This record gives sequence, C-alpha cells and structure tokens, in this order.
Amino acid sequence: MSLMRVVVFIAYLALCAALVGIMESGAADVFLEATRPDFQKIPIGVLGFQGKTAVDSSAGQVADILKADLRRSQIFSVADLPKLGIKVNDVDGAEKALFKQATENGISVLVWGKLGVKDADVVLDGFVYDGGEDEVVAGKRYVGPSSVVRLMVHRLADEIVFRYTGEPGIARTKIAYVSEQAGARELYVMDYDGHGPRQVTADGFLNLMPRWSPDRRFLVFTVYRSRLTQDIDLIELATGKRMTLVSLGGLNITPAFSPDGNDLVFATSQDGNSELYKLDTRTKVLQRLTNNSAGDLSPSWSPTGREMAFTSDRGGGPQIYLMGADGSNVRRLTFEGDYNAAPAWSPRGTWIAHVCRTQKREYKLCLISPDGQQNRQITTGPGVDDSPSWSPDGRHLVFSSTLEGKSHIYMINWDGTELERLTSGGIHHSSPSWSPL
Amino acid sequence: MYTRCVTACLMGVVGLMLFIGPACSKKEIQATSGSKSSEQAMAKGGGQAAGARPEPGISEQDLLKSRADNPSGEIKVAKVQPSDATGRLAEDMRREQAATAAAGLKDVYFAYDSWNITEQARQALSADAEWIKANPTILLKIEGHCDERGTQAYNLVLGEKRAKAVRNYLAELGVGSSRLAVVSYGKERPFCQEHDESCYQQNRRGHIVVRPK
Repeated sequence: MSLMRVVVFIAYLALCAALVGIMESGAADVFLEATRPDFQKIPIGVLGFQGKTAVDSSAGQVADILKADLRRSQIFSVADLPKLGIKVNDVDGAEKALFKQATENGISVLVWGKLGVKDADVVLDGFVYDGGEDEVVAGKRYVGPSSVVRLMVHRLADEIVFRYTGEPGIARTKIAYVSEQAGARELYVMDYDGHGPRQVTADGFLNLMPRWSPDRRFLVFTVYRSRLTQDIDLIELATGKRMTLVSLGGLNITPAFSPDGNDLVFATSQDGNSELYKLDTRTKVLQRLTNNSAGDLSPSWSPTGREMAFTSDRGGGPQIYLMGADGSNVRRLTFEGDYNAAPAWSPRGTWIAHVCRTQKREYKLCLISPDGQQNRQITTGPGVDDSPSWSPDGRHLVFSSTLEGKSHIYMINWDGTELERLTSGGIHHSSPSWSPL
Repeated sequence: MYTRCVTACLMGVVGLMLFIGPACSKKEIQATSGSKSSEQAMAKGGGQAAGARPEPGISEQDLLKSRADNPSGEIKVAKVQPSDATGRLAEDMRREQAATAAAGLKDVYFAYDSWNITEQARQALSADAEWIKANPTILLKIEGHCDERGTQAYNLVLGEKRAKAVRNYLAELGVGSSRLAVVSYGKERPFCQEHDESCYQQNRRGHIVVRPK
C-alpha cells in the first residue's frame, strides 16, 4: 500500500468522523469558509445529459437546472465548456480524452448524466469525475414521476455540494412568502429558485409575515381574522390544518420559533404598546420579555437559542437590540443611522441582517456582527428592501424589494453579489422566509 | 510499523462504516405529487462509465449514502381550501364602506415617520367628533395606515400608534373610547399605489370607519 493510499484513507476517516458528528449533533462546528474572500471556488463543468423523456424536461433543461444549483452553492464556479473547446451534450461522458482535456483547462470536477424512461417514471443517472483522483467518483440514479424531475436534479446538486463540503446543499429548500391574490394577501411556498409556487391560504383578507417551524412542518403567521382582530396561526403544510396559537387584544405580529421549536416569541400590543412575549408551546405558559412604553417587535433567535435580536423604538426611531432568551441583559446593537429594523440572525451566528435607512433615506439591507464591531451595507440603489431571511447554509439572503417598481422577492449572496429575482408576474410579493434544511 | 498504521486505518474505516451502516439502505423520498421517487447509488463509475477503475474494497459511494439526510424527505404542500371566512370578510368590507361613505367622516394625515396629530388633523377631527357625538349609537373603528417606505413589521406598529393618536384626540374631544376600536394595517392596504410623495401622503392616514350594525 502506497503512502498516497494511506493519506487517502486518513482523509476518509476524517470525513467519516465528520459525518457521524453531523448526524449526532445536527450541526457542525467548523464550516467550509466559502464566505471568506480568499476562498477559491472549485471549477466544475457540466457535460450535459444524454437522452430525453417524453415529458417537458429536456436534457438541456436538466443541465441548466443543475448548473444554476451549482452556481448558487457558491462552492463551484461553473465553467463554460464550449468556450474552452470542450464538447458537451451527445458525449458519453466517460471518455478519458475528455477528462484530460478538462483537467488541462483547470476544471477539477466534471458532471454528466443520462435521462431515460422506465415504465411511467423518469430515470436520471448522474456521474461525477474528479480530476484530483482521476476517477469517476460517484454515480447516482434517481427514479420518479415526471412531476419531480426538477427535484431529482436538485438532489443530484445537493449530493455534489455535500460531497465537496460535508454540508447539506440547499437546492431542495423552500421559501414561504406573501402574495397578493384577488385583493387579499395570502401565503405561498415556492422552491428556493422561485419555481413551483403553491398557494397555502385562501382566507380572502390579510395573512402576513410567515415563519417556518424548525422541523419545516408548519408555518406560523399573522392572520387578520376579522376586520378588527389579528391572531397568530399555525398551518401544517402537508395537510393544510390550521390552529390559532395567539389571540390576545391588539396587534399580534412577528412570531418566531426558537431553534428547538419549543418556544414562540412574538409581539403583542395587548398592554397598549407592542411588547415581546414568549409562549411555551408545550405548557402554554406565557412570559412577558419586554416592559417599556415603546414598540418592541420582530424577534430573531440566535442559532443557539440563548439570545435574540429585535426591533425597538425605545430610543426614538427603530433600532436593533439584543437580549437573552428570558428577556435579560438588553442592549442596543445598532447606532449607525436613524432607522434599523427587521433583524435576521444568520444560521452561523456571525451576522445579523437587517433593514437600514441610508443617508439618502433609502431602505437597504445591512449586516452587523453581534458584537457591533463590523457593519456593512449589502444592497444599493432604488426601492424599499424589506424582510431579509437567511438560507440555512448562511450563504444567501432572500428579501423583498420594490427596486423594479412592483414588490418582488429576490435572492442575493451574503456579500451583496449575484442578485437574482425569484418571483415573476403577479401584483405584490413580500415577506419571504427561507425554510430550514 | 507502517503496515500496522495502514491496518489500523482500514479497521477504523470498516468500523465506522458498520456503525453508520443502517443509514446506507436504499432511500425513498415522498414526492410532492404523493407518488414516490426513489434514489439508488450506482456502482462506482456506473455500468456504462467505461473510464472507471475497478471498485476498491471500500468506496466513497458508501460514504455518500450515509449522508445525514432529512428522514422526513421533501416539504409537501397540501392543495389550498378556500376558507369560510373569505365571503364573510368581503361582505363585512362592503357594508363598512357603505356605512362610512354615508357618514362622510374626514380622515387625517400624518408626516413621514410621525404619529403626531397635525393642526389640519385637529380641525378634521373636531368636525368628526361633532358627528360622532350626534350619533351616539354608532360604533367606529380607526384604521392606522403607512406609506410603503419602512419595513412591514415596524409599519404595523407605526400604524397602530397613528390609530391610537387619533383615538386619544377624539377622546379629548369627548368621544368615549369604548366606541372607538383601533386596527393597524401598516403598509398592507394602501389607498394609492404609486411610488411618489403625493401618494405616500395619501397612505399615511388615520382612516375613520363606521362599523355596520
């Protein structure tokens, strides 16, 4: 056995240990730092997919979905193979000469596949060649009805991301949001890339600000039950079953589940002005967290569940504050500008995204570190940006903006690059919330 | 020494693979349509991948299969059922609008970021208060509205401050607070849809509504 083999096996061991760790704790402590400026993306090429199905998903579409997923992962830079003189489509993939050509052009990973039909199902085979190992290192077969071809491609993308990062990919996550429908605002859920919007409520009036339960089974949101009262409701996505969690006097808004799913923190104005309360969903015990004459709202839990960020106008205009999960140790976080609101604590804990009003009185997205030491604005230009929500991998934000006139949902990298609009058509889309993994 | 290290490493790998083995069985995911989509790992390099080498004893394929996937699979969304409330809310709104139009009450407007009652608003509310006192059986609702600038969440709080400022001023003029309900719509139900100041001015509003009997 060569020294090389030993090194490879030790690497396997490390990966095994990492996998066991992920399965046991549900979260890894050390992340691949794709968010560091000096991170080198892995050059990847998609050779294409042979064959086609009887349905509308052509091989070209499958390749495009995969390339978009890989690009959004921020782990890979997707090479333009034809530009490099490397033939795509109609290739068997597993051609030595092709691998050599790609490696010589600096591409370290190649992906290709086949599409076929088996009975009523679509069969998608995906293969991965790794230039470093000079081997075809993975092959996956996905079988399912034609309605889930996009999902199968997303699974393949997530497999590739996981293979090269040890972290689950986000291609199969979803985004909940609010859309105007027949004069009312209703909840919707769409794929993370904006495809397949599904209407979740049809109440005919106002449903606002959905948030996911950590197990992804439920959305919690504000519903205007009548012309006078608002409640906080829970809806089970798979069944459509509804349940009212909070029905106090006044406004009941901005609910947020704790990371363990046991507690719901929300704002209610039953005391005259908006205050934060915590509801233990198991014991139904209600605990008041804030107590002052100003408005307190928009709680966002830290990933550990030990602290939360929230909006308060106790100092005049709205600013971001932090406090312990029991309401202790309140301190102001933002001091720059006279309007900071809608905080969203990143899943890795390193940033709190929020809406900041610039000197030109534009409402844009800013990031601030929980110690207040680092602060940066990540969107610019016209329009009102609102409701930032992090992807579960912490590499993206989804938010609403009127930058093109109508309010639409956009995705952007955490550093402000690669803005992408997710909604099309419609009248008004707002309040996006990214699902957990 | 060298060989022993290799052997130990190998045993470690095998041990780990056995440990996480149960997760290596074929996975099935529930598709959104309710039908099943299955996934299977193919032999390294697949049958058709001619360029692949012979499979070593322990392949990375097994590692991939042991990924910590969400056992609950994909997010399913049930087909939406129209709520019973839909028709009732629309009917409430029609009756409210008709009663409000008949009463001819004046709305009040606010400055940017502000919930202070302006001089102009005081005059409007004085006239409103006379009508309200002359119609003692009528119940009212004050809606607080905001322009599209600012966040949805904070504008709901701002809208409530505006509605309560109107209620408090009417109370000062002798209108019993028990007749005055408040509700905030933030920037969710604007009167005007354009993105300019004349429109924003229309939307920063305390809207006084007669509640139908």
